[in-house]
Amino acid sequence: MSTIIQCRDLCKRFGSKTVLKQLSFELASGDVAALIGPNGAGKTTLFSILCGYALPDSGSVSLFGHKPGSSALFGKVAALPQDAQFDPAFSIAEQLDFYGRLQGLSPKAAQQETRRVLALVDLADQAQQKAAALSHGMRKRAAIAQAFIGAPQLILLDEPTAGLDPVNALQIRQLINRLSDGVSFMISSHNIFELEQLCNKVLYLEQGQLKQQTTAADDNAAQYLTLVLEQDNSAEVTAALSQLPGLISLGAEQKKQLVLCYNPQLNNDFDLAVLQCLAANGWRYRNLVKGQTLEQKLFSAN
Amino acid sequence: MLIPGFKQTLQHTGLYAGFELRRLWLTRRGVMTLTATAVIWFFLLRYAIAPASNLVASDGFQQLFRDMFGSAGLSQLFAWPAAELAIYWVLSLLLLPTFCLFFTANQLCSDLERGTLRYLALRSSRLSIVLGRFAGQMLVQGCLILLSLAATLSLAAWREGGLTLPMLHAAAVISVNLLLVLAPFTALMSGFSALVRSSRLAVSLAIVSLGLLFALLSWFIFYFPDFLFLLGYLPGTQVLQLLPLHGWQTLQHALLPLLQTLILLSVAVLLLKRKAL
Repeated sequence: MSTIIQCRDLCKRFGSKTVLKQLSFELASGDVAALIGPNGAGKTTLFSILCGYALPDSGSVSLFGHKPGSSALFGKVAALPQDAQFDPAFSIAEQLDFYGRLQGLSPKAAQQETRRVLALVDLADQAQQKAAALSHGMRKRAAIAQAFIGAPQLILLDEPTAGLDPVNALQIRQLINRLSDGVSFMISSHNIFELEQLCNKVLYLEQGQLKQQTTAADDNAAQYLTLVLEQDNSAEVTAALSQLPGLISLGAEQKKQLVLCYNPQLNNDFDLAVLQCLAANGWRYRNLVKGQTLEQKLFSAN
Repeated sequence: MLIPGFKQTLQHTGLYAGFELRRLWLTRRGVMTLTATAVIWFFLLRYAIAPASNLVASDGFQQLFRDMFGSAGLSQLFAWPAAELAIYWVLSLLLLPTFCLFFTANQLCSDLERGTLRYLALRSSRLSIVLGRFAGQMLVQGCLILLSLAATLSLAAWREGGLTLPMLHAAAVISVNLLLVLAPFTALMSGFSALVRSSRLAVSLAIVSLGLLFALLSWFIFYFPDFLFLLGYLPGTQVLQLLPLHGWQTLQHALLPLLQTLILLSVAVLLLKRKAL
């Protein structure tokens, strides 16, 4: 797969504060990458640099082999910038039409494209409204709609579901999931559950540095089981599971949740053994998942 | 590669300019601008141009003016085919540059403040944005000038008993010259609106900067009188030279504002390119 984003030793300072420190990573075509990190980690700054809104102080960055902001990327790279708002003087449809025209569409094609993208985010009936007449969630969805105009190959989404109600957040997740077959995404969010569902690659930023970079291929799913019990983890449960052949370690990070690390070469049917152990003792479980959650992967080892 | 890039820049500039025209005619803010212009010109036409035209058109006043100022210079104002057009010429040359600073101050600031420029910068170059907004403001001002000129021509036609070809010709000369005079001021506001996120601040900066520049140049010239010619390079200084001229001879002063516009627009593009959106 070809590389679509390449960052090398990226640095960005605001005054005396260094926001990005020697950041290097690559994103391949077809990737759906999550950008995670605490507030102030540099996620939005990285998005700004990738979109061409801000220049890095040092290092290099290229998207499809071009510098961010280059005319070769117009229509190819789309984004949902954080806190960007529409012009209050025009309706949403008028502005999306205009964006379509800037992307090289004919007036008629731009209008059709506007209808299409507004329907994608369930805003077709709000097309003639001005931004001020829409709710926060609707404005967010309209902003997401503008990122889908035309046929972008890479879409950068900064907090796409922040401020959306659960139903609309689910719709946006489903939309991203549906489109991710043909489009690469980079998504910044604090919602780890959401990123886990959507992304095959995770970039974890902390204080401007890339602390972790994991991909689906790194996920040694066969070596971990995450077990959620209906009852609290008692010493009795832990002791029984510890006896199972092949177990390497057993972590109890939450009251009803256990993470079992095992060696599949020693016991290939470890999951069955766990279920049998639970059944034999009459302990009920809520779910058993192969692998670790993204949250565990990112934060448990720290 | 250069030609497709150039073509795209031109297309985008045209789209931005067209969008600004729609803003004038189809939005509430645009209608307010049109109303404000209509009100200002109503008062100018009703209480300045109309009474002054009657006075200027009288032979006695023209003779007195020639006796005082000679047959050259300002007396050339009588060469315009209608007194209304002569007064419109003087008033607009003196007033419009100041109005222009206010009318064109919001080329980029609001979009910078709202973040709307982030949507635009993903689809077009910052060069296209600056050129498009500038071209849009020039079109808007062109519309406003044509409307006010149409009102002035109506007044002249009513007094003279009809519209003549020389009057229309003079109106064309006036509109082209006014656009040339306003171009550097509009380009100046392109730069200031790329610099700050509020149109009020952009206007204040423009007034303070022009004032400071004039004061510094005057102080410099006081000690080095050989550099008096520098004052002639300030935006709008050709206005005083234009006042006594009429017809297409006015275009002899067109080069300076065009160069000033080019330089100021280049600065505006540089400022926006360096600006974090």
